[in-house]
Amino acid sequence: MTSTTDNLVRMANQIAANLQHEPDVPKAVAEHIRLFWDPRMRQLILAPDVSGVSPDVASALDQLRDAS
Amino acid sequence: MKVRISDDALALACGADDVAAAFEAAGADVERTSSWGMHWLEPLVEIDGIGYGPVAVEDVASLVSGQGASVSIGVIADHPFIARQQRLTFARAGKTRPLNLADYEATGGWAGLRQARQLGAEAVIEALIDSGLRGRGGAGFPAGIKWRTVAHAQADQKYIVCNADEGDSGTFADRMVMEGDPFQLIEGMAIAGFAVGATKGYVYIRSEYPHAIQKMQAAVRACAHIVAPFDVEIRVGAGAYVCGEETSLLNSLEGKRGEVRAKPPLPALEGLFGKPTVVNNVLTLATVPWIMAHGAQAYADYGMGRSRGTMPIQIAGNVRFGGLFETAFGITLGELVTDIGGGAASGRPVRAVQVGGPLGAYHPPSQFDTPFDYESFAEIDGLIGHGGLVVFDDSVDMAKQARFAMEFCAAESCGKCTPCRLGSTRGLETLDHIVAGDNVAQNLALVEDLCDTMKFGSLCALGGFTPYPVLSAIKHFSEDFGER
Amino acid sequence: MTYQPQSDFGTPAATSDAQITLTIDGRTVTVPAGTSVMRAAAEQGTSIPKLCATDSLSAFGSCRLCLVEIDGRRGTPASCTTPVEPGMVVHTQTPRLQKLRKGVMELYISDHPLDCLTCGANGDCELQDQAGAVGLRDVRYQPVETHLGQAKDQSNPYFDFDPSKCIVCSRCVRACDEVQGTLALTVQGRGFGSKISAGIASDNFLGSECVSCGACVQACPTATLIEKKVVEIGTPERAVVTTCAYCGVGCTFRAEMRGEQLVRMVPWKEGKANRGHSCVKGRFAWGYAQHQERILKPMIRRSIQDPWQEVSWDDALAYAASELKRISATYGKQALGGITSSRCTNEETFLVQKLVRAGFGNNNVDTCARVCHSPTGYGLKTTFGTSAGTQDFDSVEDSDVILVIGANPTDGHPVFASRMKRRLRKGAKLIVIDPRRTDLVRSPHIEAQHHLALQPGTNVAVLTAMAHTIVTEGLVNEAFVKERCDWDEYQDWASFVSEDRNSPEALEPVTKVPAADLRAAARLYATGGNGAIYYGLGVTEHSQGSSTVMAIANLAMATGNIGRRGVGVNPLRGQNNVQGACDMGSFPHELAGYRHISDAATRALFEREWGVQLESEPGLRIPNMLDAATDGVFKAIYIQGEDILQSDPNTHHVAAGLEAMECVIVHDLFLNETANYAHIFLPGSTFLEKNGTFTNAERRIQPVRKVMTPLNGYEDWEVTQKLAQALGLDWNYAHPSEIMDEIARLTPSFAGVSFDRLDQEGSLQWPVNESAPDGSPIMHVDGFVRGKGKFVVTDYVPTDERTGPRYPLLLTTGRILSQYNVGAQTRRTDNVVWHEEDLLEIHPVDAENRGIKSGDWVRLASRAGETTLRATVTERVAPGVVYTTFHHPLTQANVVTTDYSDWATNCPEYKVTAVQISPSNGPTEWQESYAKLQNNARRIAKAEAAE
Repeated sequence: MTSTTDNLVRMANQIAANLQHEPDVPKAVAEHIRLFWDPRMRQLILAPDVSGVSPDVASALDQLRDAS
Repeated sequence: MKVRISDDALALACGADDVAAAFEAAGADVERTSSWGMHWLEPLVEIDGIGYGPVAVEDVASLVSGQGASVSIGVIADHPFIARQQRLTFARAGKTRPLNLADYEATGGWAGLRQARQLGAEAVIEALIDSGLRGRGGAGFPAGIKWRTVAHAQADQKYIVCNADEGDSGTFADRMVMEGDPFQLIEGMAIAGFAVGATKGYVYIRSEYPHAIQKMQAAVRACAHIVAPFDVEIRVGAGAYVCGEETSLLNSLEGKRGEVRAKPPLPALEGLFGKPTVVNNVLTLATVPWIMAHGAQAYADYGMGRSRGTMPIQIAGNVRFGGLFETAFGITLGELVTDIGGGAASGRPVRAVQVGGPLGAYHPPSQFDTPFDYESFAEIDGLIGHGGLVVFDDSVDMAKQARFAMEFCAAESCGKCTPCRLGSTRGLETLDHIVAGDNVAQNLALVEDLCDTMKFGSLCALGGFTPYPVLSAIKHFSEDFGER
Repeated sequence: MTYQPQSDFGTPAATSDAQITLTIDGRTVTVPAGTSVMRAAAEQGTSIPKLCATDSLSAFGSCRLCLVEIDGRRGTPASCTTPVEPGMVVHTQTPRLQKLRKGVMELYISDHPLDCLTCGANGDCELQDQAGAVGLRDVRYQPVETHLGQAKDQSNPYFDFDPSKCIVCSRCVRACDEVQGTLALTVQGRGFGSKISAGIASDNFLGSECVSCGACVQACPTATLIEKKVVEIGTPERAVVTTCAYCGVGCTFRAEMRGEQLVRMVPWKEGKANRGHSCVKGRFAWGYAQHQERILKPMIRRSIQDPWQEVSWDDALAYAASELKRISATYGKQALGGITSSRCTNEETFLVQKLVRAGFGNNNVDTCARVCHSPTGYGLKTTFGTSAGTQDFDSVEDSDVILVIGANPTDGHPVFASRMKRRLRKGAKLIVIDPRRTDLVRSPHIEAQHHLALQPGTNVAVLTAMAHTIVTEGLVNEAFVKERCDWDEYQDWASFVSEDRNSPEALEPVTKVPAADLRAAARLYATGGNGAIYYGLGVTEHSQGSSTVMAIANLAMATGNIGRRGVGVNPLRGQNNVQGACDMGSFPHELAGYRHISDAATRALFEREWGVQLESEPGLRIPNMLDAATDGVFKAIYIQGEDILQSDPNTHHVAAGLEAMECVIVHDLFLNETANYAHIFLPGSTFLEKNGTFTNAERRIQPVRKVMTPLNGYEDWEVTQKLAQALGLDWNYAHPSEIMDEIARLTPSFAGVSFDRLDQEGSLQWPVNESAPDGSPIMHVDGFVRGKGKFVVTDYVPTDERTGPRYPLLLTTGRILSQYNVGAQTRRTDNVVWHEEDLLEIHPVDAENRGIKSGDWVRLASRAGETTLRATVTERVAPGVVYTTFHHPLTQANVVTTDYSDWATNCPEYKVTAVQISPSNGPTEWQESYAKLQNNARRIAKAEAAE
């Protein structure tokens, strides 16, 4: 995992930590990533060897994978 | 032996403390009282109702042993100087210990405040209007009207400010009240506060009155519980005559430069810290308790024309019998100077009398029939101001006096407005030319033009009234302005 | 043509609804109650002679020239201090008045030098004018004492003070008091000896508290206070109104010219943002346009190790185009990007994002708002529906409680701060939430009711605790919430803030704010009348920046403080056109007007207008561009008017990113830090050299007007157009008004905007459309733009940046009055006399523990890096907190700032860095090697030498 991906993991975890009040946290995280991350960033975080994501983020990434 | 000696600043200057100490050393019981206001007799000593004065330390021994006839003046209250007066504001002068609450209460103290609280605010103001009391600082504005304006103003805070910046040369009445009857002043302020809805009062005392400052501070502490919830604070000026002008005083109180403010707005509506404020002279406020206790009509029954009540006149200068003479409006200038004052102390003929302070007109004996009242003096291009009069004998050089008027204005000018800031210096310089005999006629014409500019152009009475002494000197004493 | 000063009615306008009719010189005039006789006469066309009166200051009554006669009144009252009354009959010119005025003037001239013909104010002197007006012919005095020959004070770099010409009208003192609010001037002494003084007698202007705003110079009727440029050059002959290029207040000035030479900038009295006031920067610090370091010719180089080569415009643009095409072909179109400027005009910014979207074919465009107010965009759009502040500046005049959080307006938005202070002096209450004791907390005549000196990084906790107080103590404006917001969302939020763990007491260990103070402040905001919140980068530049903005919006909605004058949520936008840059679609996920790029209808509108297909996925933000560069996939960038190497956080990261790119195009005025890594330099033009518009923090679009030919040959929009043309795009704008017309066609909130309308109205606040044809001073008046206001739960999530034994202090950063941002402009003016270096503020306790005194060099180290600068020991910061500014590149302040950023927008967390301070011997290795790199990278080989 490159440092860019480390960074993306950290960003995603941070997003989730700040959306805890949402009724569906993974959905909100997925929506945020869809609206604001460029395709390459999304690709990198959806890569199979990515680790360190929080459970909410993992769920969100699943949703993004299913959507694309 | 019970001995009463004043601790008023003038008495102290004449040695009253030493005389008092000598009596104490001799075993007498010495009470320090307010001054009777008979300056040529200080230090004045009262023993069993008989007055002795002026008393030197050397005289003490014989007085103690009962041999004071040579300096005796008899019963003080019967002395013509006192007997001829109508002392309403100065009723207690010489009779009580200034900071003694029991003395104050025993002589009718707090009766006014009690009465006011019973009458209610509106009735108090009506009474003040009916009494005809006008501002005794000099402007002569009806005090009741001013109070009514403040009472009707809407604000979360209002103030009573007592103008104790008595800067006029030859005046001392405010000082005598503060040093001699401080509770009366505080009572007057408390009544004012009650009437207009002000919970806070300030007394602005000139820095040159240290004894008055001390006495007032002690008095405020002593009677705080009686006038509560009204709270009084003593504030000290810093050596500026102009801060006797009410708006400049307010600026000084606020910690700003003592610069005059333009009116409108009137302080009654936007005064201290922008709040509705009653600004009144010491004498005005100190007279209020009497009016409340005895009724408005009783006060208005004294006086003449539109000048109702009594005026505490201060006789000073080159005069035999100087002091505090409180009487109803209407007495003539000549009576004051000649009959009561006894003419010049030097024995020489009186040449001029300046009435109303350093910005008042100089009056020759030909004007001595003028009644002492606001309107009568205005008609002869004069003013009674704060009630001070200063006597000059025939050795006076009126050109120099005219120059002094400009010099005084220049020294005390706040500097805000052009006619006063620049005019007083230019006036001084031009009068110097006149005194030196340069181009007298032209320079006199220039002085007259300048006086016109100052009279109608100045922002306040400092520049505005300087023409009074100058023009009256030129008019009535033109011989002093001729070519030398 | 003679110089025409701005009109002056003598005293300020009255605001009453009641009208009064009176007669002046036989003619009737009707004016609002409270107007002075002087102003009523002026409005009727009669100028009563005056010297101390001027309509930016309250009447003073000191010169005594303006005397009039009023029927039924004694004497000759001053018309400036006399309010009109119904039926008043006034005579302004009578023999008596003439005589009096001559008398006054005669006194003035008896104490004034008679060197009019060689005086700097010749032709622009009110004393001259009035001496003529009153007909003075003769000065009869033989003065002995005068003020002639007093020494001049020339200490200030921009203006002179000559007391020998002073007429003690006190306009300067009053301007400093009433307009600026610094109260630096006074009259020393009294009477004839009165002398204007900048402090105590031994102070000169430079050494005093004067902030050089120029209000006194503008107010002075004589040559006593005069711009040095006027003395040097002469009186201006014409004036062009334009807008300042410094901060987000957007002051409008008259650029007073002689030919193409700018003589001085004078604040425009009709400017709605500044109302005739200015600060030192806009007023005086415009000399950078002619600075010797300004680059006027395009330059290129193959490698950043090479010196620059000056080339022609055609060659530079051709080279740029060929590189961009090569890189696009080699690495794909996602390898290119652009950064728009927040200092350039709306039209220029629009073209840069259009170049990226229509030319490069992607959405990799971003702007400096990323690093400052992007959380404002996100937070206010989410809660209210508009990515901008809700009020205009005038609104502060109706505020009763002003809450300033994370902002230092007396330094960053000085002209607005002066307006705010004016309102505070009139009795409005102030709450300041800031770790540092800013000037606003306590300064002459201003004192905050509450200063909540919170721990850096705990904004959300403090605001949540305030919300807790307001909700649990029953201070919510339920009527407002029910009508204007989503009630369910409100209830969720209310129960969240009401939890015990969110009480001021529970959060005190974290915030370090005493609970009683916090509760009192919350109550004051909720119940003190009109409550207005003003905030700045101390809110946004945090890992929870967006959350804080939403927390602020929550408080405003809960207390009903939205939708009228005196209230609102007001982000103090930093730069002159950062609002505009955001409006123009500079963000990678949004087109102009804040419409998401994924929205097909919006995209179609642009595609039709531009004739190309647009990418529908969001593009890269600046930090992500740099990540992608170090990953080897982002290779080319076009940067207009931004210096990311100095201003962005984590300098090492930025440098690495830039170094990894193959084509860095910098379009700027000077060789800045970013240019050290550039391959192509395109010289830019200043705001004096272009036409266009800026949009300030009030959403106010204001014209920028060209007053001189661009020294570099082209206006910036022309350069972007030429680059586009070099890339084969068919752009043919002949004038920026055409660009604005295009913006208006494409952006509903700009629909009614055009250069013609701006010329007519002076300025317009967007939205300007059918429902608001004259613009929108106050927003969300009847309803929120998104419909119902949205309450968003903002739980406190502490930043990952923690202090520890190695880095026990917290660093926060800010700006200072005389320098602007990275100092590119202000360091190249005489403003350097005030702030020659960035200093580290450290509390006495922390300093003593480390053996540090003021003036010592100290090492500032964080986990990201270290740098060296000098310390100043002060109690403005609390123990445990240190502070510095970032105006000087050699300070390299951003070497120590971290990678942490706001969760929603990646706005960097400049305001919270864990650091250690220790004594130092001198610059760090990085600083020394950087200085070498800087020198190396700035070598220019002149074109002629090649021959």
